[in-house]
Amino acid sequence: MNLGWRIWFLIIVLLLSLLAIKPSFQSGVIIKSVEKNSSAFNEGLRTGEIIIEVNGQKIEKKEDYANIVDSFFAEGNETKRLDIKTKKNEYTLFIDKAPKITVDAISSTKIKTGLDLRGGARALVQPDVPINDNQLDDLIQISSNRFNVFGLSDVQIKGVSDLSGNKFMLIEVAGATPSDMQELIAQQGKFEAKIGNISVFEGGKEDIADVCRNDATCAGINSCNPTQDGGYFCDFRFTLYLTEEAAKRHAEITKNVTVDESSRYLSEKLYLYVDDIEVDSLLISVDLKGQVTTQISIQGSGSGKDQEEALREAKESMKKLQTVLITGSLPYKLNIVKLDTISPNLGERFSYLLLLAGVSALLAVSLIIFIRYRKIKASLALLFTSFSELIIILGVASFINWNLDLPSIAGILATIGTGVDSQIVILDEARRSASISIKEKIKRALFIIFASYATVVAALLPLYWAGAGLFKGFAVTTIIGVTAGVFIARPAFAEMIKKIEGQ
Amino acid sequence: MEQTQNHQHTKNWYDKIYKWIIIIPIVLIIFSVIYLVNFNVKNGDLIYKDVSLTGGTTVTVFDSEVNIESAKLSLKEEFPDLIIREMSDIRTGKQHGFFVETTADSDSIKTALEKYLGYKLTSENSSIEFSGSSLSTGFYQQLKIAILIAFLLMAITVFFIFRTVVPSGAVILSAFADIIMTLVVVDILGIRLSTGGIVAFLMLIGYSVDTDILLTTRLIKNKDGTINQRILGAFKTGMTMTLTSITAIGISFIIIYSFSDTLRQIFGIVLIGLGFDIFNTWITNTSVLKWYMEAKQT
Repeated sequence: MNLGWRIWFLIIVLLLSLLAIKPSFQSGVIIKSVEKNSSAFNEGLRTGEIIIEVNGQKIEKKEDYANIVDSFFAEGNETKRLDIKTKKNEYTLFIDKAPKITVDAISSTKIKTGLDLRGGARALVQPDVPINDNQLDDLIQISSNRFNVFGLSDVQIKGVSDLSGNKFMLIEVAGATPSDMQELIAQQGKFEAKIGNISVFEGGKEDIADVCRNDATCAGINSCNPTQDGGYFCDFRFTLYLTEEAAKRHAEITKNVTVDESSRYLSEKLYLYVDDIEVDSLLISVDLKGQVTTQISIQGSGSGKDQEEALREAKESMKKLQTVLITGSLPYKLNIVKLDTISPNLGERFSYLLLLAGVSALLAVSLIIFIRYRKIKASLALLFTSFSELIIILGVASFINWNLDLPSIAGILATIGTGVDSQIVILDEARRSASISIKEKIKRALFIIFASYATVVAALLPLYWAGAGLFKGFAVTTIIGVTAGVFIARPAFAEMIKKIEGQ
Repeated sequence: MEQTQNHQHTKNWYDKIYKWIIIIPIVLIIFSVIYLVNFNVKNGDLIYKDVSLTGGTTVTVFDSEVNIESAKLSLKEEFPDLIIREMSDIRTGKQHGFFVETTADSDSIKTALEKYLGYKLTSENSSIEFSGSSLSTGFYQQLKIAILIAFLLMAITVFFIFRTVVPSGAVILSAFADIIMTLVVVDILGIRLSTGGIVAFLMLIGYSVDTDILLTTRLIKNKDGTINQRILGAFKTGMTMTLTSITAIGISFIIIYSFSDTLRQIFGIVLIGLGFDIFNTWITNTSVLKWYMEAKQT
């Protein structure tokens, strides 16, 4: 059948969009994160792998995984063998507790939903002094390091600026929100080590040559012990390498400090401050007195109600200390000017309601169109075109990895609405009983549509920059939608109508 | 034959009154401007703003048990400006949770809520959105500028398309009337606008010029039929356009009503605006345009 190139063009773009959305129907669960240095991590399990079987039982959904693993470790504390089969590989773990990984359902499409729908946290951070682009890049680098060190996956950090030229750092964490998010972001991370009131060294490249991390020979948890009140505490220790200059300063200061009565340590301690708050104090052993030593052992501890919690606390404090030592402090304070934490539980309901609204609206509109024109073919063509537009918007959004947040959804709704409007213009222009040819009528319809298109795009452009880009989604989806509508869907619809009316 | 007579009939009464009809929009526009100026003097701004534009915190708690009235009474003591609203299921109408809005910062309202509810607020059972006041004020300023620029760009585009002063002016006047009349209704209803609400006004600019461009093109670019026949043709098409938009957005508005404040406000404002668009396209714009066409013909 001769469909004409415009309709073919629509069909091809439609197929490409479907390819970009790529609906998948595979079963299993995807690994969202693996705790560093856990047995699962050491066996080689990594983020992104898809678990299909646990202990020979098939995993279809997220619930399957939770049920099998929970019941398997529910009784007894002995070490058990856990077989995990992923699409790529098979792993055998010998553990006494559920593996330290988080899993999630495999998303059935490549459509990315934003925080409003999926849940998570979003923070907009502004330094208390104006900064330039380079400084903003540095800030983002340092912050990314911090989040990495903290083992948070699925964090996006980027710089944004608004219409007045203010610069912000936008941090988005998907899924569950860490409770200490606020602390993590806003801390200036100023590290200082003092003896008495004299500063010995600070965090950052000037004083710190290197910090031992992720190397069991020079960094790790020393021991965990019960406390008197029934809790636990764990000690950590890691090696810090000072620069020559800082080491000399250290020697200069310790030279004048007296030895305490045990004659094993100096009478003054080395106090560690993060953001001017004392986090720990270390005894200085007597053989360091007056010595130019570049290698210092830093110790600290974490406590908790049980061993696991104490261990976690200790590891976290160690990471925190290591990070501020390496990255050094920011030369300004950070203010959290916006912080949204959206519950993941909201998302499912929201998506359902949006789908319900979309389907009901489209059905109601088709009904009106059918009542108005009493032509089943033309009405179906209109429905098909509007639906194609929706698919194309979602396809392009998936292709450019755009996260569909609330403003984006509003934009899609607006676009489909104006799309239907344009289709109606074409239908009516074609049906008018004027003496001109159908070709001429369509040409006129397209003029009206292009004119409307130009005004919509013009009206939306400022939104791209206003409000630190938080409303960008509205502009992005609308512009994708109306552009696809005007250049692809509408010409194709006009062709369809020409064919239908021409019969 | 019957149809021609019908048209003849339409022509007669419409031709008599179209110049007089224009008084209605003029009066309404003058009233709206006076109302808004007065509102601005009294309230220091053109709109009532919610915390997303002034700074503050919105908390959504998923709790189907708690009594919202008593929670309100208790929390109002510490947070006098607090607003609390139920969130309910669309089908059953049963309470699903509630929204709390206050200009206080997130830590203090969170603590107070936790104390009242007797449990910790986590990302499992709640959502918290906080905006600092200087940021929100900044956002508001920028969104206002965005609307202004959007309107200007739209006006330039319209002029560029039609290249004649009166028809282009009529389209722009009609869009302007849509916006200020909607603004007046929003103020009279006491709706406190959020950032989403401002975005809705941007959507309105796009929606409202749609039918105006259709009308103008049919009237000044096409030559077939009498002026009234062209108006009637455009009216049929335009009303189908606006009615489908109103239906689609109306349905979405009902479904989302108790679930998302942002979308409810966006849909609500667009609905009001579309209502005024019918008036302004087919009374304001049409009358001006018909007058212009008739004057040009003679």
